[in-house]
Amino acid sequence: MHKKMAFSFPDEVLEHVFSFIQSDKDRNAVSMVCKSWYEIERWCRRKVFVGNCYAVSPRMVIRRFPEFRSIELKGKPHFADFNLVPDGWGGYVFPWIAEMAGAYPWLEEIRLKRMVVTDESLELIAKSFKNFKVLVLSSCEGFSTDGLAAIAASCKNLKELDLRDCEVDDLSAHWLSHFPETYASLVSLNISCLGSDEVSFSALERLVGRCTNLKTLRLNRAVPLDKIANILRHAPQLVEFGTGTYTADVRPDVYSDLAGAFSSCKELKSLSGFWDVVPDYLPAIYPVCSKLTSLNLSYATIQSPDLIKLVSHCPNLQRLLVLDYIEDSGLEVLASSCKDLQEIRVFPSDPFGAEPNVSLTEQGLVAVSLGCPKLQSVLYFCRRMSNEALVTIARNRPNFTRFRLCIIEPKTADYLTLEPLDVGFGAIVQYCKDLRRLSLSGLLTDRVFEYIGTYAKKLEMLSVAFAGDSDLGLHHVLSGCESLRKLEIRDCPFGDKALLANAAKLETMRSLWMSSCAVSFAACKLLGQKMPRLNVEVIDERGPPDTRPENCPVEKLYIYRSIAGPRFDMPPFVWTMDEDSGLRLS
Amino acid sequence: MELQLGLALPGSDTWSRPLLKLGLYEDINVNSKKRGFDHGYLEDEFSAASFKNYEKGLVGWPPVKTWRRKKLRCQVHNHMTAAENGCCVGRASNSTYVKVKMEGVVIARKIDISIHQSFETLTTTLMTMFDIFDENRRSFKLTYQDKEGDWLIAEDVPWRTFVRSLKCLKLIRSRGYQ
Repeated sequence: MHKKMAFSFPDEVLEHVFSFIQSDKDRNAVSMVCKSWYEIERWCRRKVFVGNCYAVSPRMVIRRFPEFRSIELKGKPHFADFNLVPDGWGGYVFPWIAEMAGAYPWLEEIRLKRMVVTDESLELIAKSFKNFKVLVLSSCEGFSTDGLAAIAASCKNLKELDLRDCEVDDLSAHWLSHFPETYASLVSLNISCLGSDEVSFSALERLVGRCTNLKTLRLNRAVPLDKIANILRHAPQLVEFGTGTYTADVRPDVYSDLAGAFSSCKELKSLSGFWDVVPDYLPAIYPVCSKLTSLNLSYATIQSPDLIKLVSHCPNLQRLLVLDYIEDSGLEVLASSCKDLQEIRVFPSDPFGAEPNVSLTEQGLVAVSLGCPKLQSVLYFCRRMSNEALVTIARNRPNFTRFRLCIIEPKTADYLTLEPLDVGFGAIVQYCKDLRRLSLSGLLTDRVFEYIGTYAKKLEMLSVAFAGDSDLGLHHVLSGCESLRKLEIRDCPFGDKALLANAAKLETMRSLWMSSCAVSFAACKLLGQKMPRLNVEVIDERGPPDTRPENCPVEKLYIYRSIAGPRFDMPPFVWTMDEDSGLRLS
Repeated sequence: MELQLGLALPGSDTWSRPLLKLGLYEDINVNSKKRGFDHGYLEDEFSAASFKNYEKGLVGWPPVKTWRRKKLRCQVHNHMTAAENGCCVGRASNSTYVKVKMEGVVIARKIDISIHQSFETLTTTLMTMFDIFDENRRSFKLTYQDKEGDWLIAEDVPWRTFVRSLKCLKLIRSRGYQ
């Protein structure tokens, strides 16, 4: 009787039930219930997420999931965003496209992050997938407008083309013209990363005009202010809009044209762009401000008074990205005007200046934390901090899920007491029980890691720089943080002992990055030899690690779990440690 | 150094005593020019600390994404110097010679970028070329124009990226940021 229960539903019924389960975690759980559920689930999984493109091979994915329509791949480690991963490290998408081109003519969606995408890859996508709909390239590089032209020309069903933060080689401004005149299915277009001359305005206007379903349009800096009004008039249904350059000689006719165009956009919820802002033109967006939920002013080099005026018009703001020109005073106004605020990111206008150029301190963050009850996600660059402020913040805002604080000068102590900031960050992890992501900065000893290991049980990603005193710090994190998936460390005195003592932990994580620390080559070799399911990569631009003493620290270390074994596309400055590492190096 | 591999999962206590602080960087290859952590900075002919109003020569710090840094600096810089700099003719695609200008000097020079492998050797050569003595080194900053026409600080990106996107060079007097 019990045996029969598992088979009492026909496959189609189970499949139908599974179709309501979208998250990968849940799908993975479902697939582990029993063999028959594994089989049914794998045939009906439509979206595949690969958090590290080297953790598994394309062939393995295709073998397990024969009918997926959508794939998301991530390549380089996060610290690549800050130039810590040398050029040529890897993350090439071509092998994946090549395998999928053969197996999956019906693939619809490709989302890539921090990968190297060549024109060849884009051309292969354009040629191979007849029903291709969505291409999202986030922080990718290696392609040019030629590749984009191929996509535009061939993908008749393309709905989304999003090139956020990519490095694109500009070869021709006319790639947009490759969208056929009959093509009208675009829903989302983000070309904000393109360089100055890469867009043809007339082609853009025509495209926008005929794509009546266009909801998201993020322009690049080359689009001048006086063109925006026209574009908006062609697309009053836009929900998300990114301007180009927001500067022009101040003329009443241009202004009223712009204001009128914005007023006609009744659905607008998100604004971005705002390069080179001339403050006189800002009030043109006031008509839409009351409906705005997301505002990205992180390129707007305007001063606090103008920012305050703008922000005061946006009572429904949920997400704000802004430069530190907003200052403490602006954040206080934000705290009193925007009670729905969930996410704030404050970027430094002068990250390399020795002296503060604006009056933005810990007070601004305290104000927002106190005033905005729904605040969950913070990225904050500042020049001073105190334990007192951090404790206040933690107590008042225990609902933080992401907290990233960057005190610009490394090893800055509590400015009031001159003590380390251990207690402050300790309070953050203690009170914010749902904290998933944390970035530390300032003067920190091993103690902060003890707090993190003790309290941060839901923490999934931790970023550490210039912190700690000894291996004990790393040990606390690796042994205490049960949910840890990604750990990235730079310039900390962490060495072999903690790493080796917690080797098994590394298999439960996606990856570990350590650069300018004190992990020896010998330890890397040992780890590689003993842990076959980890790829231990030594990245060292000084030359082969075996030309130096074994106890010499490696420059950079990237460890990630993988069922695909060591990769073979490594550049000359990367070595994988495994059983054969001795042989490979000579 | 005796290394022990602990294969037990976290939770089992393999940690019985506090560790001594590791003596760091005692064994590091003295020829390394890479920067490590604060007191690991090696004696270097050309310490980036000589750029007074600039970062300590730390790559990737503060952690502001490259493209964001570039776009922001472009705005500020381009406002200031649009007239001054204009656009470099740049180099022919198959040539390794790059034009170098120095602020205040009328005549531009050319150097062969392919003979250099690091910012240190490049800067030393430039200092010699323009007769800048060691003690005045601090007051100059090396900037370059990339393929997109943006002016950037040379040491802000890895060497390889710099060489790949380099169009022309300019030495400017270090005046701090705005």
